[in-house]
Amino acid sequence: MALVALPIISDDRFLIDRFGRYFLFAIFALSVDLIWGYGGMFTFGHAVFFGGGGYIVGMLTTRGGWFLPVPFWLALAAAVAAAALLALALSYFVFSGKGALRGVEFAVVTLAVAVIAERLANAGGSISGGQNGILMQSRLGVPGVISLHRGYGFYALTGLLLVATYFGLKWFLRTRSGLVLRGVRENEDRIDLLGYEVPLVKRRTFVLSGALAGLAGALFYVHEGIVSPGTVGVGASTLVLLWVVLGGRGTLLGPIIGAILLPHLTASLSGTLLDTWLVVVGVILVAVIVLFPAGIFGFLTRPRKA
Amino acid sequence: MSVLVIDGLTKTFRGFTAVDDVSLRIDQGELRGLIGSNGAGKSTLLHLIYGKLEADQGTIRFDETDVSRLPAHLRARRGMGLVFQLTSVFDELTVEENLLLGALPKKPRARLPVDREEVERILHLVELDDVRHRHASQLSHGRQQWLEIGIVLLAKPKLLLLDEPTSGMTRAESRRTAELLKQLQASRATEAIIVVEHNIEFIRLVSDRVTVMHRGQVLADGTIDEVQANHEVQASFLGRLH
Repeated sequence: MALVALPIISDDRFLIDRFGRYFLFAIFALSVDLIWGYGGMFTFGHAVFFGGGGYIVGMLTTRGGWFLPVPFWLALAAAVAAAALLALALSYFVFSGKGALRGVEFAVVTLAVAVIAERLANAGGSISGGQNGILMQSRLGVPGVISLHRGYGFYALTGLLLVATYFGLKWFLRTRSGLVLRGVRENEDRIDLLGYEVPLVKRRTFVLSGALAGLAGALFYVHEGIVSPGTVGVGASTLVLLWVVLGGRGTLLGPIIGAILLPHLTASLSGTLLDTWLVVVGVILVAVIVLFPAGIFGFLTRPRKA
Repeated sequence: MSVLVIDGLTKTFRGFTAVDDVSLRIDQGELRGLIGSNGAGKSTLLHLIYGKLEADQGTIRFDETDVSRLPAHLRARRGMGLVFQLTSVFDELTVEENLLLGALPKKPRARLPVDREEVERILHLVELDDVRHRHASQLSHGRQQWLEIGIVLLAKPKLLLLDEPTSGMTRAESRRTAELLKQLQASRATEAIIVVEHNIEFIRLVSDRVTVMHRGQVLADGTIDEVQANHEVQASFLGRLH
């Protein structure tokens, strides 16, 4: 409710804009929670999809030649499709056959993918912009009709997307596929021996998750105006895990809380505690994780003894 | 008619033959006990039957089809249901959700409705009506084992395989499990049942026929009394049967 009321009670456009960014973080966090919190697939490389979404939009809208550049909304659709395709290719590689990976092995592969993606982005020359990345030229909105690039418009766009993602995932998790996915998280062998096709369940979820992260990332980096190699790397991939852990893995509201709270805390403290803010944020993070292992939302909704 | 026909099954691990030229036939309506000392090869045989392991030689025909090279999930889809020795339920799902996972169609695009009445019937059969909304992790070991049997039953297996189902159970729970298996056999809930067990008293309660394994081979086959009278069985591990 407070988030819905924010644009009404505050006329601080910078703050409203900032919350719009957090909403895209929240979608990214939900995409990770879907595969990790609900599917038990721990990933160290999901920024490949988030940052990758930004790169695809950047390349398709700023580069020339052949059919390029393309209009922003077309590039956005291509970014989502590319993220989904990358997720599909990766999931075929890691989840299929007798050598299907799970647990730490899967996490290590995703880590390697993130490292490779960052190196490729760095070495991509004029295609990826190398170390400098790509300066975006597109703006969110429909030129001459409506601008959704900053302020209230951006807040409304990202807020609506977050709400749609939240309810979409809530619906998905209540379907048969959602129940089977939670079954995979709890006991993959049992699911397999009941006759379900575990690789298919994982692939579908991974593709959905990759597409969601790609969508959020594409919008985020267009809004930011730049996408650079660090956005597809291990650092960005680890940060989203912190949001999910902080808020509560395996819940839908938890990752949203984490993805708003931690970046907001970081942004607020870095403005006031110039030298020590990183230490303070680290201490708070460790304290929360130690005191509430199930995350903030997981703690608030834990089953209580009668 | 035979539900399962195993012919010349052999499995070797780095020079050690865990299952050595085993042939076995399980008929419709049968509840077969599979016994043997530790390392006799009975668990390996079970793994070969449901597909966790692939045999080096020999064939497994299930429901008149050669399933020797099928992966485990496809054997399950054809009607093999396994209950693990260590309970294997979905801890953080409710009892009802656990059972639903047994009842849901397993083929990717199958949109068949879930038989809710059957779920209710099994919930009642395994005596878990009172805890249907509790997480599986909150149940006792014995009740978790019954829940697992319920999950597997809802997948409508033709052949139910149980790996030491009474392991870790109290005497009362073991007795109730024996009653449950006899009930399943009498009601023809599955076409055949194989129980791998150490607990000879349990086997005596449930099995029509017993197969004894020793050093990877079938040592004897018959009723529990016939098996106990067998000299080879007596020589190998008679003490364990009393």
